[in-house]
Amino acid sequence: MSLYLPIAEMSVNALLIIMISGGIGFLSGMVGVGGGFILTPALIFMGIPPSVAVATQASQITASSFSGVIAHARRRGLDFRMGLLLSIGGIVGSTVGVWIFAVMKALGQLDLLITIFYVFFLGVIGALMLWESLLALRRRARGGPPPRRRRKRGWAHRLPLRMRFPQSGLYISVLPPLGIGMLTGVLAAIMGVGGGFIAVPAMIYLLRMPTGVVVGTSLLSIIVITALVTVLQSAQTQTVDLVLAALLIVGGVIGAQFGARFGARLKAEEMRIILGVIVFATALRLLWDLVAQPSELYVLSR
Amino acid sequence: MRSVLLPALALLLAMIAAPALAQRQGDLAAGITDEEVAVTSDYQGARLTVFGVHWRGGRAKSDVVVVLRGPGEEEIVRRKRRVLGLWINADPVRFSDAPSFHALASTRPIGSFLSASTIANLGLDPGARARLETATPADTDPAAYRRALVRLKRAEGLYRESPYGLRLEEDGAFKAPFIIPANAPIGAYSVDVFLFRNGRLVQQKPGEIVISRIGIEKTIHTAAHKWPLLYGIATVLFALGAGYAAALAFRRR
Repeated sequence: MSLYLPIAEMSVNALLIIMISGGIGFLSGMVGVGGGFILTPALIFMGIPPSVAVATQASQITASSFSGVIAHARRRGLDFRMGLLLSIGGIVGSTVGVWIFAVMKALGQLDLLITIFYVFFLGVIGALMLWESLLALRRRARGGPPPRRRRKRGWAHRLPLRMRFPQSGLYISVLPPLGIGMLTGVLAAIMGVGGGFIAVPAMIYLLRMPTGVVVGTSLLSIIVITALVTVLQSAQTQTVDLVLAALLIVGGVIGAQFGARFGARLKAEEMRIILGVIVFATALRLLWDLVAQPSELYVLSR
Repeated sequence: MRSVLLPALALLLAMIAAPALAQRQGDLAAGITDEEVAVTSDYQGARLTVFGVHWRGGRAKSDVVVVLRGPGEEEIVRRKRRVLGLWINADPVRFSDAPSFHALASTRPIGSFLSASTIANLGLDPGARARLETATPADTDPAAYRRALVRLKRAEGLYRESPYGLRLEEDGAFKAPFIIPANAPIGAYSVDVFLFRNGRLVQQKPGEIVISRIGIEKTIHTAAHKWPLLYGIATVLFALGAGYAAALAFRRR
């Protein structure tokens, strides 16, 4: 079934897009990550202009995060105060990010910027995922106990402007949450991702938040950030495609729900290996495009 | 249906045009199957046919050329350069008034009966139409950029050429089928029909077709560009609504 996208100004196979976003939604629902960082490159490989892919993807993440956060709110797995701080940082970061996006688009270097961000972040995250799950598998094979996590007061606890976070049982500086929010905001604007893959580990290892509230809180800030990115991209670059967004939302939301159910029956390490391989392979593919001698030396940009 | 209609239409046209043609030597009549193309949500591009008749001028060799051309636009061509091991887009060169779409059908390759200057003057070569607006970098050839522009547009299916895509029938009728792909821009396209005799232009017939969005496509596109802020807010509300609906639908009972 072919459908004409009014903003991308091209005809696409609607079922194919729903299936791809559904498949990636399924995978991300199993593992518990957003999936934007696989879906956006997939859209670009399909020929959707990178600017449209990134800007439109943000609204899909708003939808899937909102459907996810409701479950967390029901069982009180949310730290609203922390979410507010992350969101404030995110608002600053995404405003800066959309501005960088517009400047690079005008300079004709947007594709390069997006690709470099993806190669770097996908490469690092893919490698970490593989490494961690391989270690976990080896530990399990040996039958030893999991290593104890050191519960030390980190630098986040020593910075000024400290604040109490009763929900998380923390008394830490407001600066690290603001900084994490800012970084996720920039990534959301430039990569079309939610940034959960940065925010969640940062909240666990830097802020030392209890894991029960981490995912819900990060989803909350991701909703605010991606909603803002959608509005800012619409206003500044006019690259948000409502029809494409609808296809991505339908596929992604349904896929994630089924993935979450299916995932409960699988082992976490094995799923993380699958995802790690996909993420790492995507990074290599994008890196190859950057370093290989191109067959066509010239490019058109408008 | 359309293929049955076409010869009939051409014949009808020939009958109407015949008296006039008989008096004025080297005359030409032409028409287009669709003068308006509507872009709807299932738009996959358009197929249209330019048809007509020409009066055969004795023993002279007649050639007909049809050019379909989209609105002129600015194009920036960049050349990739290796910086720190990465291939980045560098050395931008700006062209103005490059045809956004250019399709040509002729009885035989135009280079075989027209001089390069005639081809350029009549606008039959899309690369020659584009005006170079900026200087090219010192070590480069402006012609290389122009060739690249044509090559890249051709790769996108936006510059098309069918050197034998037009056949002249014995009775003087002709038709040239065209494909406008879905990625061709929206707007007013010019349709020019040229009649050559022994390589000399005898007559030129201008025409126009309009590709426009209608219905939901138009509403969304207009909203995104006229009220971008509201459009963005509406997209977010839609996303939130869809997320909420999904959470309700999939709630574990």
